[in-house]
Amino acid sequence: MPNTIQGQIVEFLNKSVPGCNAVINAPIAAVGDSSITVEAANILEVCKALKFSAEFNFNVLQVITGTDYADRIEVSYILASFSKNLELILKAKLPRGDKFNLPKINSVVSVWNAANFQERETYDMIGIEFVGHPDFRRILCPYDWDGHPLRKDYVVQEKYLDMVVDPPGKNNTADQMFGKRLKEEIGDPKRVSASWKDSTAGEEEVAKDGE
Amino acid sequence: MSSHNENTEDKIILGDQEVLKSDLLTLNMGPQHPATHGVLRVEIKTDSEIVVDAIPHLGYLHRCFEKHAENLDYRGVIPFVDRMDYLAAMNMEWGYALTIEKMLGTEVPKRAEYIRVLVAELQRIASHLVFFGTYGIDLGAFTVFLYCFEDREEILRLFEELSGARMLYNYIWIGGVWNDITDDQLARITKFVDRFEVELAKYHSLVGENKIFIGRTANVGVVTAEQALDYGATGPVLRGSGVKWDLRKNRTYGIYDKFDFDVAVGKGEKGTVGDCWDRYHVRIQEMFQSIKIIRQALDGIEEGPVMGKVPKIIKVPAGEIYMRTECPRGELGYHLISDGGKTPYRLKVKSSCFTHVSMLPIMAPGQMVADFVASIGSIDIVLGEVDR
Repeated sequence: MPNTIQGQIVEFLNKSVPGCNAVINAPIAAVGDSSITVEAANILEVCKALKFSAEFNFNVLQVITGTDYADRIEVSYILASFSKNLELILKAKLPRGDKFNLPKINSVVSVWNAANFQERETYDMIGIEFVGHPDFRRILCPYDWDGHPLRKDYVVQEKYLDMVVDPPGKNNTADQMFGKRLKEEIGDPKRVSASWKDSTAGEEEVAKDGE
Repeated sequence: MSSHNENTEDKIILGDQEVLKSDLLTLNMGPQHPATHGVLRVEIKTDSEIVVDAIPHLGYLHRCFEKHAENLDYRGVIPFVDRMDYLAAMNMEWGYALTIEKMLGTEVPKRAEYIRVLVAELQRIASHLVFFGTYGIDLGAFTVFLYCFEDREEILRLFEELSGARMLYNYIWIGGVWNDITDDQLARITKFVDRFEVELAKYHSLVGENKIFIGRTANVGVVTAEQALDYGATGPVLRGSGVKWDLRKNRTYGIYDKFDFDVAVGKGEKGTVGDCWDRYHVRIQEMFQSIKIIRQALDGIEEGPVMGKVPKIIKVPAGEIYMRTECPRGELGYHLISDGGKTPYRLKVKSSCFTHVSMLPIMAPGQMVADFVASIGSIDIVLGEVDR
């Protein structure tokens, strides 16, 4: 696919950063965006090349985020160019590591200052260590929190500073009780909500094969 | 070794007198401080009255929305999305609905598209009115707050009739909008914008052109265009620095390509480009542009259904998408990764307020403490969106 913009970027990256192994991940179901995966070790050079290339000029870093899969963690760098009006999802794969041995990747704060908060958030939520970050701490969770909430195997710690996290007595069951009462008193939910009344009569067939 | 004559870390010898070296004073602003617009804590280091450094501490409103979203079906995420930027919930919902619709390939009926533009632009006005009012309070002008909230109330009443809620609507659904808008309500919007356009010009001449207001905001909290791009600023903060970038124009979504409006940028009329007054003025001009869009939408709205064909149980095909929309406070991006199931595998939200908070350390040094309050106010953050 050298004609698409992603194809051009891949060609450019493989030429200017040797060994970065840029490849396109085409969308699976032909909807959505495609992304580009590069070697995690070369991320800093790749980002520099993309920012300072005259052809693409990705001058804005939108987001750094991570996704936890069963066998790996993917860091996504979503870049945008406000001068060329482009958008790019750049990815790097890392091993999952464990609590005492977080996966490491180079920080890109030296390329965009926007990476400062984004990397701190990614560390906080997913647990990736950004090497060379100037102010590496948690950002949203308390500084002494344990674990990284957006990992799929995350379990909430039972006690934080001698306080019980999520005590059962504090669970608000009012909503469930309300729904239960409504069901007992009125029965058919279609009679109390306007959400079922409208022009979606032909939808039943679609619903059947949906579930 | 006579340490007596040496200047140690905390003592200075002046002549034959030993005086204490003046140290930086650490001042905690927030988390319960009226000028931080929510629960933001900023640790300020001051040298007498001059701010040397500002370190924002976030997370007091952190609910980990992204984790919640992984356990909810695609429709169930919408009420959670409302609670991010609770002052612009319609815009939040629209961005999310667009993301899912693009993955599903849903066609939204024309009438629903027009209603979405109407409510989004009204919401933009309501949100900027909160900024206008509270910014007045930050700078010591109380009256403007009352005027702004009176006008905002009219918009909220309309939204309440439309959706049943005043702030957290759950109105824009995947495939369309929940409920149709009546002709009576459309007539009320017409009446409101006609009256509000005159009023807004009056407010601006009373506040924005006021000498004290200009003195408090011009040349304060300057962010250059390079800094704004480097820190990833978007929305009025970026436009206030003189960069003409608006997603409604540059990467059109919905039916914005049908509308004729201008993108307001800061020109440094009262001081330097990118100061607090510019950011304020961009928002005022945006309200006028919103009125212009609303008028065109009122003319163009057509009869028809308001809900497209959406399966009862939504299963988004496996893949990923990044979709961004222009919200009152800047760009809102949804990065959705789906594995083909009933719930999102990963839903990341790019919040503009979060990036704007990261700019406080470059705005703060060298300012008076009172000017720092003006700087925080001018980036117009909502902590619900910062912490998510």
